[in-house]
Amino acid sequence: MEDEVLIIENLEKIYAGGVHAVRGVSFKVRKGESVAIIGSSGSGKSTVLRCINRLIEPTMGTIKLNEEVINNPLADVNEIRSKIGMVFQSFELFSHLKVLENITLGLRYVRGMNKEDAEKIALEVLERVDMLDRIDAYPGNLSGGQKQRVAIARSLAMHPEVILFDEPTSALDPELIGSVLQTIRGLADEGMTMVIVTHEINFARDVADRIIYMDKGIIAEEGPSEIIENPKTERLKEFLSAMDDE
Amino acid sequence: MLSKEDRILSWYKIPKSSRILLIATTLIFIFLTPNLAEGYESTWNKIEIDSTNDYNAAVIDSNEDAWVFGDNGIIIHGEKLTNWSIIDSPTNEDILTADSNDYMVAAAGTNGTVIYKEVLSNEWIKKNIDAQTKINSIAINNMNEIIIVTDFGGIQILREGEWSEIDSLTLEDLYHITFENERGLIAGSSGLILGSEDNGLTWETRETPETISESEIISIGYYKTNRAYAITSDGQILKSTQEALTTTVGYSWSIKEIESENYSTSLNVNLTSLEILSTTKILLTGENGYVALSKDGGNIVTPQLFPDEFDNQKINDVAMINAFRGIIVGNDGNIFYTENGGENNPVGFEVVDFNDFNEFVDFTKDNLLEGLKATMKIVLIGILLGFFLGIVLAMCKTAPTTLKQMIESDLEKTLILFWLVIPVSILSTRGSGIGIGIFTFLAIIGVTILVDYYINKNKTEKEGFLGIQIPNNHRNKVIKILGLSLLIGIPISEEWGFEGGAELIYSALNNFHDFQLGSDTPKLSAQLGYIFAPIGDPIAFFRLIIGIGLTYLGVLFITANGSYSKKRFFAGKLFLLIIVWSIILTELFIGFDLNNFNLSIASLMKYLFFLGMGLFMTRRIIPELSWKNLEPNEFNITIDPWRLRPLNSLATLYTDFFRNTPLLVQFMFIHFGIQLGKHIQNIGIDVTNDLTIISSYLGPFDSIFAPMIDYVSDSLFGPGKRSYLSAIFALGLNSAAYQCETIRGAIAAIPSGQMEAGRSIGLTYMGTMRLIILPQAIRICIPPLGNEMVNLVLNSSLASVIAYTELTRQGKLVVAITFQIFWTWGMVMIAYFVVTWTLALLLRRLEEKTRIPGLGISGGN
Repeated sequence: MEDEVLIIENLEKIYAGGVHAVRGVSFKVRKGESVAIIGSSGSGKSTVLRCINRLIEPTMGTIKLNEEVINNPLADVNEIRSKIGMVFQSFELFSHLKVLENITLGLRYVRGMNKEDAEKIALEVLERVDMLDRIDAYPGNLSGGQKQRVAIARSLAMHPEVILFDEPTSALDPELIGSVLQTIRGLADEGMTMVIVTHEINFARDVADRIIYMDKGIIAEEGPSEIIENPKTERLKEFLSAMDDE
Repeated sequence: MLSKEDRILSWYKIPKSSRILLIATTLIFIFLTPNLAEGYESTWNKIEIDSTNDYNAAVIDSNEDAWVFGDNGIIIHGEKLTNWSIIDSPTNEDILTADSNDYMVAAAGTNGTVIYKEVLSNEWIKKNIDAQTKINSIAINNMNEIIIVTDFGGIQILREGEWSEIDSLTLEDLYHITFENERGLIAGSSGLILGSEDNGLTWETRETPETISESEIISIGYYKTNRAYAITSDGQILKSTQEALTTTVGYSWSIKEIESENYSTSLNVNLTSLEILSTTKILLTGENGYVALSKDGGNIVTPQLFPDEFDNQKINDVAMINAFRGIIVGNDGNIFYTENGGENNPVGFEVVDFNDFNEFVDFTKDNLLEGLKATMKIVLIGILLGFFLGIVLAMCKTAPTTLKQMIESDLEKTLILFWLVIPVSILSTRGSGIGIGIFTFLAIIGVTILVDYYINKNKTEKEGFLGIQIPNNHRNKVIKILGLSLLIGIPISEEWGFEGGAELIYSALNNFHDFQLGSDTPKLSAQLGYIFAPIGDPIAFFRLIIGIGLTYLGVLFITANGSYSKKRFFAGKLFLLIIVWSIILTELFIGFDLNNFNLSIASLMKYLFFLGMGLFMTRRIIPELSWKNLEPNEFNITIDPWRLRPLNSLATLYTDFFRNTPLLVQFMFIHFGIQLGKHIQNIGIDVTNDLTIISSYLGPFDSIFAPMIDYVSDSLFGPGKRSYLSAIFALGLNSAAYQCETIRGAIAAIPSGQMEAGRSIGLTYMGTMRLIILPQAIRICIPPLGNEMVNLVLNSSLASVIAYTELTRQGKLVVAITFQIFWTWGMVMIAYFVVTWTLALLLRRLEEKTRIPGLGISGGN
């Protein structure tokens, strides 16, 4: 289809130690769609996510962003990455820079903007994540939820085609999760294309248009968010019940 | 951050009145330091005699009696240089010259007047020559014969009571004659010097410099048989030394470049007489009351003071008993006596009592301060060099670039590196030395990166490098050709070309000694004594390392098949087995000497032990070697040569070398071994000379630039700067190796997520390093870097071994003069402490200032 932003075909990854983490994964992400990847630890979901912006080089398979193959040695990887936002589990804010500088860094040194323009965009995105009051704070002085919102703002500032979320709430205290989820939900409502790896089943059901369940390196089940209520495969049933027990 | 008022050691905590007191005390300390000598006084004492004749000549005989001769035949006798009297003269003619030896005193003057007396007799004998000419100089030779010289080349000798002429072979005027044993010298006009080896019977011309062919040599003299000096009337000093053991002094003469006259050849004084007091100490007299002393053979000539009333009188002759006691005589009845070699006496000078701490400090403060400055200079530049090189090395060490990446995605860059940058750098190194070579290397890399940036600036899709893109179907061929060129080099002619890895190894091995197998020391263990034998020439060692590297790359590239992946050594354990058996058999056979075979229990046990171990290991390994079991990851050695990181390897080589050799040895190797200081100095002088030429085209701006260029040239590459340059590099290069490891540790401490985050917003690897990783890493490693810098300051004391006069060496010199060991080394120690402590304080401030709020445990707020 025309509006497919991201196409992943037969993705495989074998790590240097011989671990076969991803064994042939294919899926597509349409424009404005949010896809949640769930699965137990070691199922390969984070590897898939990192392969998309080539933080991990895939062993086999193709990844296309807007019809363009991006896992090709001759492709300009920095250009591609600037079109794909990424939000990390452990935030990874640049701790020596203030909140505002964290966001303007990419705009100034990748997009080549001047300081004033970059700050204008930074203030806009900080408003979207409701962090305008802490622009002069250092990341070390922020709470986990605030950090993650700044990290989301950092991705947004680059106007990405798609944002990848790598377990955005796993490192957060339960009472702080709400604000982050609300921000992400807001983005989904605005029509941002997102791929979210998460443990939050309820959140996945709320936000995601489609859910992919991965197990042992392959996609075990895939479908709209209703599959959470009515899992077809035995493995997803087991996974969901294990999550409920927690 | 503490505020100014909160700090424990705060200037503002001192009460205001106390502050003023503190400053005043400091100033008093600085300014109330007594000086050394305040002035000088002459050591010449005028001898009062009732005569105002002009005195032309003076001699002191072997009785230590002085004889002064002057116009109108006046003769003055100075008995033991104390009782002075005018004695009756046998002549009324002007006496111009005189000489004496152990046996007699002789004098001569106008109208052929010659008088002489024996030392023991009081009677003057007159023995005029026939020709009524002016006698310029008189001398007595080894056989007590009197020889005189006159204008137009006249020489006459008084032998057995009769005057006879000697052929001088010249018509030049002869001004001075002197003898030392049987050897004689005559000085004359037009730069003429005659020499005789036979008591003056025959004379021959001696070689003098072209530049004095217009000058009149007015006085000449020997010091014993190993040194001779001469002066010209226009102020030049000539020197002759014994050139070889078989020749005598006085054959060849050189003109002195007088250091105290800015290396001019002339003193710009009309000289009259010369007296040589020792090999290097000479006393010169001249017109206008000029008496000058040189203690270093005419390098530095210092005019000496006179009592005021003698100013501007011409001094005609000087006579000394020894280096200290003597007289000078001049016009207008002036005779002066000295007991101090005529050297000025410092006034207000006290003998420095080094046991008095104040005097000790006054005497040594300049030395120690100079030493401290010299130390600071090498330390500051060394720290900068070490820090920046350390960062570069640390980044090389952490660089993820593998050979696979170089070939797979950056083939074009790799080709330009190996086929353009390195060959051109080698060419310029061969042509102009290693410095220019390194400069070329960096310059080409910079230019190509810039050009590439502008070529790809406005393109949406990146195309290769410099617009070159090798098509996919040809890439493998190009890689193989690259491999071949690295392996066998690029031979351009038979004896000229670029050597490849194979040739480098081959030629290097020629300069390696063999292990001397089969020699007198058959046992491997005994051959440890030959530890230096297998190392060979350091250059060969260097070539071998480069050769191995190039061969590795060459073989790898030639065998490239497009996948650039692992090479599995399926026979890994077989390989292991071969190595084990080679070691065992070597040890057994080399230790096994048939000629004196030792059948003791111990040796048998040893052989059995080795054999048993070999068999045991074989038994363990062999069963696994059946081909059925050939599963990867099970027992095979798996090596992926494509995963080698070349930058990391180079940096590791560097740090391993510098961290595993003593700094003292590095100092000596760098300064004396490869003479780095000398090479840099030569390059620097060449560059500044070129700059001077460029600046001379700039017209009016030349007067601005030329002094600047001169200043830089003098202060960096001037004379005596070699050890300075070497010291900077030895310290900097060594410190870089340690700082590299420190910085690398700090980089490793940054979570890998930071790099991922930086890359995920589209920054390049270098961009992330520069903007994200290094700013955090450097903050972390300020304390250990501080350690490293303090070490560098302390290690700078080793520069004293390469004759760089820094603090420690100045300390040694001060101890040598003053013998105050405790104070000297104590002060040197305090000086080092002040420097390092200041440095540590600054770093502590820096650490405080750059601390990121909310990050890390600092113990403070």
